[in-house]
Amino acid sequence: MKLSELLQAVEAEVLWSDPAHDATDVANVISSDLMSDVLMMDAEQPLLLSSLVSDQSLRTANVVGAVALVVANGKIPPPNMVELAQELGITLARTEMAKFEASVALGKALGR
Amino acid sequence: MEPLQLTAEQSPLLFLELLYKLRVRDVMAKDLVTIARSATMRDLKRLMQERKVSGVPVVENKRLYGIVSIEDLIQALEKNRMDAPVSEFMAPNAVTVEENMPLSIVMSYFNKYDYRRFPVLNASNEPVGIITARSINSRLLMELFRELARIENQYVLPVDDNATCYFKTYRIQKADFDNAGKASTEIKNVLRDRGIAAKTIRRVAIAAYELEINLAVHSDGGTLTFRADEDEIQIVSKDQGPGIADVSLAMKEGWTTANEWVKAMGFGAGMGLPNAKRVADEFHIASALGVGTNVTARFILPKAVPTPPASLPTAAVPGA
Repeated sequence: MKLSELLQAVEAEVLWSDPAHDATDVANVISSDLMSDVLMMDAEQPLLLSSLVSDQSLRTANVVGAVALVVANGKIPPPNMVELAQELGITLARTEMAKFEASVALGKALGR
Repeated sequence: MEPLQLTAEQSPLLFLELLYKLRVRDVMAKDLVTIARSATMRDLKRLMQERKVSGVPVVENKRLYGIVSIEDLIQALEKNRMDAPVSEFMAPNAVTVEENMPLSIVMSYFNKYDYRRFPVLNASNEPVGIITARSINSRLLMELFRELARIENQYVLPVDDNATCYFKTYRIQKADFDNAGKASTEIKNVLRDRGIAAKTIRRVAIAAYELEINLAVHSDGGTLTFRADEDEIQIVSKDQGPGIADVSLAMKEGWTTANEWVKAMGFGAGMGLPNAKRVADEFHIASALGVGTNVTARFILPKAVPTPPASLPTAAVPGA
C-alpha cells in the first residue's frame, strides 16, 4: 500500500515529507514505544508508529530503514524533530488517534 | 645505566609539560617498606623477599637514617655477616627528593647519581615514599597513553572518496542524548555512498546505534570507531569506564542497569548488547570494572562476484 494511503488511514497531519515517498509501497508497520524493540525487528521499509516523541525515535527509524514515523496519541513533535526528519529523509506525521486505534486503522488498511 | 637523553630542545612539548606537571608525590610508591637500624641483615633479606623490593630506607621515629639495598645484602652475604645490624651496611647519606619536586628534576637525579631509588621526604623531612625508575615508567606510560588516546580521538583521517578504506573515530559524551545517534547516521550515509547492500547497511547501522546509545547511557564517555574496508566493516566501541561487573549478565537479553530516565527515552530494555551481537558476523566484548569496556562488531562483506570469462555465451536478454 502507498505511504500516502496509509497516512490517510490514520488521518495523519504530515509535518514533513519527501514527495518521492508518497508512492513508496509500505507493507510493514512497527508499533512500539520501546526503541530497543524496534531495533530487534526485521521488517523491510517499515512505517514506525510510536507515541515516543524524541530525536531518538527518528534516529531509530533511520537505522531500521523506516520510510515514515507517525507520532500517535495527539502528541506534537517539536520543530527540531521536523528538521531532523528532513535531514534524515524520513516522512514525519502525527495523528490524534491513540496508538492502539492507529494500529488497528493501519492493520485494516493493510488487510490484516 | 645509560643516561636518559632528555633535553628541552629534543623532547616534544607535550612530554616536557608532563614532566613539569607531574610531581614526585604523583609518581612515588606510597606503601613505604622500612627497616630499623638495629635489625639484622638477615631480617632485611626476609623483608626484601616478602615485600619484593630491592632497596629499603632505614627509618626510625619518622626519621630517615639511610638506605640499604640488595647490593649491601650481597656484601653481607659474601662477608658472612648476616647477623650484623643494618646500620653497619646502609648508606648513611641517602640522596633524597622532596615530594613537591617536579618529575623533571628527579629524572635528572637518575643521571646525576648512580642510585636506582630515592627516598621521598615531605616538608617536615619525614619519609613518605620512594621513587624508582619503575614507578616513573608506569606513571609516565599511563599519562602518555591517556594523552595519546586524547590526540587519537581528535584526529580524523581525511575522507578520500576514492580510498578503498574509510576510517573515522567519533567521540561520544556521557549522557549526551541530543547527539547520540549522529555518528550512526553518518556511518549509514557513508555505507550507502560506498554502494553497500541495504541489508548489510541495516545490520551495521543497528550495531553502531546500539553501541553509540550504550556509550551515552552507560559509559563515562568514549569513542566509536568505524572502519570500512573492501572485504569487511568494523565498529569498535571503547570507553574509559566504569566497566561491566559481569559481562555474561550484560549479554543476557532483558538484563539492564539503565535508570528510568533512559527508559523514558525508549531504551534501557537490556537488549542493546545482545542485539549488536545478533546483527554482527563476529562480536567481541572485554570489560573490567574501573578500567572500561571494549566492544568490536565485525561484518564480513561478500566477495565481489568474478566476471565470467568472455568465451562463455551470453544469454539473450528479452527486450535488450
